[in-house]
Amino acid sequence: MSLIEFSAQRRFDGITIEASFTADAGVTALFGASGAGKTTVVNMLAGLERPDAGRIVVGGIVLFDSDQGINLAPEHRRLGYVFQEDRLFPHFSVARNLTYGAKSTGPKAQSVEMGLVTTLLGLEPLLDRRPATLSGGEKQRVAIGRALLANPAILLMDEPMVSLDATRRAEILPFLEQMREQLDTPIVYVSHNVDEVLRLADTMVVMGGGETKASGPVADILSRIDLRQWTGIHDAGAVITATVGDRADDGLTALKFNGGALQVAGLHLTPGRQVRLRIHARDVSLALEKPNKISVLNVFPGEVLEVNQTAGAQADVRIDIGGASWPAPIWAQVTKRSATDLGLAPGTKVFALVKAVAVDREDVGPGPKSGHS
Amino acid sequence: MTPVEIETLRLSLKVAIWAVGVSLPFGVLVAWLLARREFPGKLLLDGIVHLPLVVPPVAVGYLLLVVLGRNGAVGDWLYDWFGITLIFTWKGAAVAAGVMAFPLMVRAIRLSLEAVDERLETAARTLGASPPRVFLGITLPLIAPGILAGMVLAFARSLGEFGATITFVSNIPGQTRTLPLALYSVMQTPGGEDAAVRLVLISIALALAAIFASEIIARRLTARLTGKKPRRGR
Amino acid sequence: MSFRLLKAVLVSTPLVMGALPVIAQEAVVIFAAASTTTAMDELMDQFEAVNPGVDLRASYAASSILARQITSGAPAHIFFSASPQWMAYAAERGAIDEASRFDLVSNKLVLVAAPGRQMDVTIGPGFPLAEALDGGRLAMGDPDHVPAGIYGREALESLGVWTATEPSVARTMDVRGALALVERGEAVAGIVYATDATLVDGLVVVGTFPADSHGTIVYPIAAVAGTGTAASNAFLAFLKSDQAADVFARHGFGPAPDA
Repeated sequence: MSLIEFSAQRRFDGITIEASFTADAGVTALFGASGAGKTTVVNMLAGLERPDAGRIVVGGIVLFDSDQGINLAPEHRRLGYVFQEDRLFPHFSVARNLTYGAKSTGPKAQSVEMGLVTTLLGLEPLLDRRPATLSGGEKQRVAIGRALLANPAILLMDEPMVSLDATRRAEILPFLEQMREQLDTPIVYVSHNVDEVLRLADTMVVMGGGETKASGPVADILSRIDLRQWTGIHDAGAVITATVGDRADDGLTALKFNGGALQVAGLHLTPGRQVRLRIHARDVSLALEKPNKISVLNVFPGEVLEVNQTAGAQADVRIDIGGASWPAPIWAQVTKRSATDLGLAPGTKVFALVKAVAVDREDVGPGPKSGHS
Repeated sequence: MTPVEIETLRLSLKVAIWAVGVSLPFGVLVAWLLARREFPGKLLLDGIVHLPLVVPPVAVGYLLLVVLGRNGAVGDWLYDWFGITLIFTWKGAAVAAGVMAFPLMVRAIRLSLEAVDERLETAARTLGASPPRVFLGITLPLIAPGILAGMVLAFARSLGEFGATITFVSNIPGQTRTLPLALYSVMQTPGGEDAAVRLVLISIALALAAIFASEIIARRLTARLTGKKPRRGR
Repeated sequence: MSFRLLKAVLVSTPLVMGALPVIAQEAVVIFAAASTTTAMDELMDQFEAVNPGVDLRASYAASSILARQITSGAPAHIFFSASPQWMAYAAERGAIDEASRFDLVSNKLVLVAAPGRQMDVTIGPGFPLAEALDGGRLAMGDPDHVPAGIYGREALESLGVWTATEPSVARTMDVRGALALVERGEAVAGIVYATDATLVDGLVVVGTFPADSHGTIVYPIAAVAGTGTAASNAFLAFLKSDQAADVFARHGFGPAPDA
C-alpha cells in the first residue's frame, strides 16, 4: 500500500480539477504549468478545500472519503504546510512561531526535534527575532521549520520558493536537499521549476489542464517527450543515475553509469555518492563511425531506438548507450537533414558524443535515497 | 472638588466601565459574525446594531423602559428569576450607556477583523490548531488594537450618554446622576453657571485621560505586534 | 426635451418659494409648557379653522428649557410658561414684551398612583407618603428646575414630608416623563398636574395638594419681544377669549387667579 493515495475531483468557476496518483516515502513533486490545478490538489490534501468526490488516504488514515462521508478538519490531519508566502505570525518571535504546531502534539510525540530542525535550516541566529525583521529567504526557512516541527505525517510545500529571487533560492535549495537526506517525513512538493524537481524529487506527478497526465520516477518522467506540452520542457533531455568517481587533477570527474563513464568538468561532487544528471539533447551529437582526433571526451557506442520528427528543422533521436541488461537511453537533437543523410532509423548503430563541459551544476541532482530505485 | 462632584464622577466612571466591560464580549461576537459569517438576516442584525447611532437617544431610552423596566417583557423575567432591577439603578444607566455605545464598539472591532489576513488563520489550522485556539492565539492578538479603539470610543460615548439614560432610569442622585445629567441639571437652574463650568472641566479632563491612556496602550500593542521596536529588558 | 423642462422647474421653484410668504400662510411659533399640550393643540386647530391663512406651530417642553431657548434667540412669537419664575427669568433678560404679559390659566397639583395600584393615604400635614411608597419610587419633574417638580417639592416641604420622601424620588426631565413612568407602573406614584392626570386611563388620582401648600400654579403667557405680527397678536387675543377659557376648563385647567 502506498503512503499517499489520492483520487479526488473538484469543480468550481466552471473548471474541473481531477487528479489521481499514489506516492511513497520521499519527495513527490507535483509538477505543471500555472493553473494546472496543483495548488488545488494540495489544498484538498490539507483539508483547506473540499473535493466534490474522491478518496484521500495518507499513511493508512482516511482523510477524505465522499462515499463514507469522511472529511477530517485540517487541524486533525497531522500535516505540515509550507505556503508560497511565508505566513509567519507577526506577533510571535521566530522561536514561538516554530513551536506553534508542536503544542498540538505534545512533547512526547515529537519525532522531529527542535535542535535538529534549527540546525538543519540554519535558524539559530534568528530565534529571538520577529518575522518583520527577516529577509524573504529567512522567513521561508522559518516557515519550513515550523511546518516540520508540527510533527507531520507528510509535509506539503506549495511552490515555497516562488516568491524568492534567484539568490534566495540558491540559499534555500541546499537546506531542502539536506532535509530530504536527513528526514523520513515524506514530502509533496509543488513546483513548475524543473531544476527544483531534478534536485529534490524522487517521484513526479505531472498535471495539465486540471488532470494528472502521468506519474512515476523523476528520471523516467523527465525523459519522456510526450509530456513536453505539460512539463513545458521543450528541449528533450535524459536523466540518468550515476555514481561519482574521483576527481582528477585537471578538474574532470568521472560519473559511472550504465553506458560507461561520463567525464564532466568543473563540478565538485563527493566521490562515491549517487547522483542524477540531466543530459540535454542539444548537447549530444551523433556519428556513424567512432571519430578520432576530436575534442569531445565522451564517446559512447549505442543503438538508435526511435527518431522523432518535430515541427521545425530538428529531429529528436533516442539512443540506448547502455545495452540490453543495463539500458541507458539518452536523447540527441540533430537536424532533419542530418538524420536523413546519416540514414538514422531504429536499430542504426551510432556513436553519441557528449561534451564534458555540457553538464553544469543545475543539471545534477541527488541520487535516489537508499532503499528506492 | 465638592463631595457631590466626586460622587458624580465616581458614578460616571462606574457606569462607563461596566457598560464597556459587559458589552465587550458581545461586541467581539457581533463584530465577528458580521465580518466573517454569512447568514440569513445578516443585514437585519447589521441594522439593529446601528440603530442607536441614528435613532434619537430618547427613543432608545423609551424602548429600554418598555422592555427592561420592572413591568417590561424582559425586565419582569429578570426580576422574577434573578432579582435584578435595572430601572432607577446605576445598572440601568450602564445598560443605557452600553446600548448607545455598542455600534461604535462593533464598528471598530469589525474593521480590524476585516484587516486580519485570514491566510494566517488557515496556516495556524494546518499546524494543528483548533478554531478556538486559532481565534485566541492568532486572531485576537492581531485585532487587539481594534478592540482597544472600540473600547475607548465606547467608554467616551458612555461617559457622555444623556438622552437614553434620563428617559430610562431618570435622574437619581447617587444612582443614576452621571456627569451629563448633573451638568444638565445645573445648567437648567438659574445661577448654576459656576457649577456647570466645573462639571464641564471634569468631563473634559476625563475624556483626555481616556484618550491618552489608549494612545499609550495602542503604541505598545503595535510595537509588540510588528516587533519593530525592540523591547527593553527582556 | 425633458431636460429643458427639468431646468425650468429647478429655476422657477426658488422664485415661487420666495414669493410664497406673500400669498400663502403666515407662521406663528408658540413655545408652550409641556403640560398644556392637549389643550393648546385643540385651541390651535380651532383658530386655524377660522383663520386659514395662519399656520400655527407649537414647541412643547419644560418651561425651563423654553425660557433658556428664548433668551438665546430662538424664533418664537409667544411664550406660554408653566411657572412665573421662568417667565420672570425671560423678562429679566429682555426677551419678553412686558405689556403683553398676563396670567392665562391655573392648574392644580395631584398625587397619582400607577394603574391598578391602591394607595391608602390622604394628603395632609405629615401624611405617610414615604411608607406608602413601600420601597418604590415617586416620579416627579426634577425639583431643581422643572416647574411641576418645584411646586411638588414646595408642597411636600410645607406638609413636612419632603425629607422622608426625597430618597425615593425619581427626577425626570419634564412632567410628561414622570407621567410615563407612573403610567407604565415603573414608579408606584407620581406628582403631576391635574391636567396630566386626565390624559391617562386607569391612572389613580390619590388626592389633590392643597392650593396653599405650594406657590400658585399660574401659567403666564406673553409675546416674545420684537416679534409681534398681526397673526401672533390675533392668536394671543384668541387665547384670552371665553371660547378658549371653555377649552382650557375642559382639559382641567382652572381660570387665572385674577380673572
